[in-house]
Amino acid sequence: MERKNATREQVLLLLEQAGELSPALVRQVERQTGVPEAEIWGTARFYSLLSERSAALLLCRGLTCKLAGSRQLAAHLEQRGEPYRSVSCLGQCDRAPVALDQDLLVRHGRARGAVSPDDPDLPINLAGQDDASFAALHRARQLGPSAVLDTIEASGLQGRGGAGFPAHAKWRAVRAQASPLRHVVCNADEGEPGTFKDREIALRRPYRLIEGLAIAAWTVGAGTIHIFVRGEFPRVRAGLEQAIAAVGEALSGLDFRFVAGHGAYICGEETALIQAMEGRRGTPRIKPPFPTQVGLHGQPTLVHNVETLACLPSILLRGGEWFRAQGRTEPGSKLYCVTGHVHRPGVYELPLGVTLDDLVDQAGGYVGSPRAFCPGGASSGFLPMSMRDRPLDFQGLARIGSMLGSAGVVVMNDTVNMAQAALQQSIFFEDESCGQCAPCRIGTQVLRQALARFLAEGSPGALNGLDSVSWEMEQASLCGLGMVASRPYTSARRYFPGDFQPASSPEVS
Amino acid sequence: MNGMNHDISIRIDGHSVPARPGESVLDVARRAGAHVPTLCHDPRLEPAAVCRSCLVEIEGQARLQPACSFQASPGLVVRTDSPRVRKHRQVLASLYMADHRLADGLPQRSPAGSSLRGFAKAAGPLIQLHPVHSPRAGRPGDHNPYIGFDPGLCILCARCTRYCDQVHGAGAIALAERGRATTVSTNGGAGLLHSSCELCGGCVDTCPTGAMFDKKPSHHLPGQLRRVRTTCGFCGVGCQLDLNVKGGRVIKVTAPAPGQTINDGNLCVKGRFAYDFIHHQDRLTQPMLRDGDGRLRPSTWPRALERVATGLKRVQERWGSGALGFVSSSRCTSEENYLLQKLARAVFGTNNCHQCAAT
Ligand SMILES: Cc1cc2nc3c(=O)[nH]c(=O)nc-3n(C[C@H](O)[C@H](O)[C@H](O)COP(=O)(O)O)c2cc1C
Ligand code: SF4
Ligand code: SF4
Ligand code: SF4
Ligand code: FES
Repeated sequence: MERKNATREQVLLLLEQAGELSPALVRQVERQTGVPEAEIWGTARFYSLLSERSAALLLCRGLTCKLAGSRQLAAHLEQRGEPYRSVSCLGQCDRAPVALDQDLLVRHGRARGAVSPDDPDLPINLAGQDDASFAALHRARQLGPSAVLDTIEASGLQGRGGAGFPAHAKWRAVRAQASPLRHVVCNADEGEPGTFKDREIALRRPYRLIEGLAIAAWTVGAGTIHIFVRGEFPRVRAGLEQAIAAVGEALSGLDFRFVAGHGAYICGEETALIQAMEGRRGTPRIKPPFPTQVGLHGQPTLVHNVETLACLPSILLRGGEWFRAQGRTEPGSKLYCVTGHVHRPGVYELPLGVTLDDLVDQAGGYVGSPRAFCPGGASSGFLPMSMRDRPLDFQGLARIGSMLGSAGVVVMNDTVNMAQAALQQSIFFEDESCGQCAPCRIGTQVLRQALARFLAEGSPGALNGLDSVSWEMEQASLCGLGMVASRPYTSARRYFPGDFQPASSPEVS
Repeated sequence: MNGMNHDISIRIDGHSVPARPGESVLDVARRAGAHVPTLCHDPRLEPAAVCRSCLVEIEGQARLQPACSFQASPGLVVRTDSPRVRKHRQVLASLYMADHRLADGLPQRSPAGSSLRGFAKAAGPLIQLHPVHSPRAGRPGDHNPYIGFDPGLCILCARCTRYCDQVHGAGAIALAERGRATTVSTNGGAGLLHSSCELCGGCVDTCPTGAMFDKKPSHHLPGQLRRVRTTCGFCGVGCQLDLNVKGGRVIKVTAPAPGQTINDGNLCVKGRFAYDFIHHQDRLTQPMLRDGDGRLRPSTWPRALERVATGLKRVQERWGSGALGFVSSSRCTSEENYLLQKLARAVFGTNNCHQCAAT
């Protein structure tokens, strides 16, 4: 049991600052915080950036980096005697294949990807000149909270973090809570493989994001704004801190706080994020209650993705209807990340609901003959090229058992074996499962091991039972990770049955 | 009805069942006689809903929901035995069997230790999956005399860690690592004697698999021991405990199930582990009096009390009441302590009385 007045939320920061994890360090942090040592140890060991500190480079083993030649990069590092450790997707997929140095800066990788050209009519407009006038915040204050809510509702803005939940509904839910202490949390833990749009927003348009946060906080009556930044994005945090420091009066009355991630994809899930912010293991909580009711420190909390927040300034300045009209099948524009076998990987802002072909047109066309794509990161599974003209939107993709998710589109051409690609994604989910609930903790292992056995032995018998296991993971897992973790396998098997025939196992290039 | 207020009713498998708002669906279902398996549930703990064994169908909910944490509300419609729920239990049990050994054939290690076996057996014919060999670390260097941890049996239900934190308040163990490597650990995996553990054994009692086990050797399989309920003699609290007996000998002590006795299934290190004295050759089982030659010899209670009374009176006569002092043991009950101070004050006329737990 923690001591009265324990300062649990300091645990991770103290561990991070202190260096190498050891039982003695843990005892010291126990004295500083009043949290029992076993819990501090268990928490530290949850996070890979705290538990595995070494001089080794971090080499990305994500699918996009594999497609771009991470194996060759590994060989190159070995040749030069540079030690490395393979880790989950690093959020630098546009620069694939990537390795980070000890300061989590890119040591090996290509130049940053492309973005859509400057166009003032784009709601986010990554290439535009960032603007610190806070005109939209002033506008919100003139309108008053209820008109702001109506504007957001009229805009049809859906959460860009993955689930596509209507933003205004969450704002109203927070406002309806009795507690005067409320929080706004910016989810900048971007970790879905193939996704790096939030990184680009924060680096290129920090004021769009900060202003969006200020509007949200003012409207729902929250005094504190917490920005949770993925640990592997030190530049993002530094940039935002600088931008906030440079603002004077406009943000007075708002308390901005930064929280760093420590290497766990699951912390992007909003309740795990809150756990991490409170200095705990990043294990998702049972919902209900939702964060809007019981969030950070038990208080009402509005959690939004970076992109959702960055849409707000132009919605307020140009109106809800205007934003809604920017979409094709659903409201608004959307930042699509595209990587894999395309000529110009990057982030493209397009009407929500464009097709894969529209998107890849922007990205300079396909490399080779396209075969499959992930519409929204690892969580969306794979789709065959026969679906290239489907709208990439929230509802349409959900109807076919996939998802838009974070819109991290990965394209694969006909050099790719889909059983191998499914294995790649299964490795990701197995590594990133929090391990809390049995269907996901055990199911991800069963899946990955069976796929590896199949690819090694070429005998489809290795895959026996996987349909039931996939069903159970989807039905019974506690959070969204386990629910989708079998999708790469089930979708690959469904759309590319030929790759699951005996002895078909060419390697991913 | 049980003296409880049932303001609402919900439907369980077609039957209307009275319930209190906010009560868990599990409690209502069990009262109605429905079979809902649980592994991570312990009524003393905040629900964790991580083992997923209790998932049921609830109308209006797209996903299966954990009965142990889902709250009853008016008109809720619950199905605990639909084909979907049955398939879920079957596959979940198959997954558990791919990752965990059962304590089958092992000596009885903890009272709840067969819950996983019960769940797996009831779930029907299982799907044979390759064992996954999760890399869960144990604590091989932990030489404490009482509590062992066998990571091969552990299903990470977190009952032990939640018990240690929420009930015992020791915070000696916690979940550590992530994903497939998740395990139960102390700081750095040190032995329990080097942690804040008080060896209460509550973690052993609540463990549903026998992964957390009583280290004292026992070669008795489940069902071979007779349980005799008694009151712990170590202090005045009056905890109830079960002596597990065979052939007139106490083999081990376990706590009664939670909710049955005042100690609610909890014991301390003495009540649970300090029973070796019962059959020890040095144990005093009758009063002993010192003879003229200074040697202790067995005697009777009347003679022993007589000797005490004489001695006390002699001191009082010679040196006065202030020369007497009465100290009682923390093993005494409140009533016994009351009597002792009565003896001191009313019979001997002194306020010199003390109880060792009073400071
Ligand atoms: C496994 C998992 C990972 C997630 N990762 C992220 C993430 O990296 N960034 C994010 O904004 N949302 C992520 N989410 C979604 C969040 O839980 C949450 O819905 C979102 O931050 C809410 O913001 P929005 O309404 O603006 O979308 C994740 C969800 C799950 C289940
Ligand atoms: S589904 Fe996976 S990530 Fe989510 S709570 Fe369960 S084990 Fe953790
Ligand atoms: S014996 Fe008691 S104090 Fe020790 S770890 Fe178990 S529950 Fe915690
Ligand atoms: S040791 Fe037992 S009680 Fe503790 S987590 Fe494992 S199975 Fe659960
Ligand atoms: S008993 Fe409900 S999830 Fe474990």
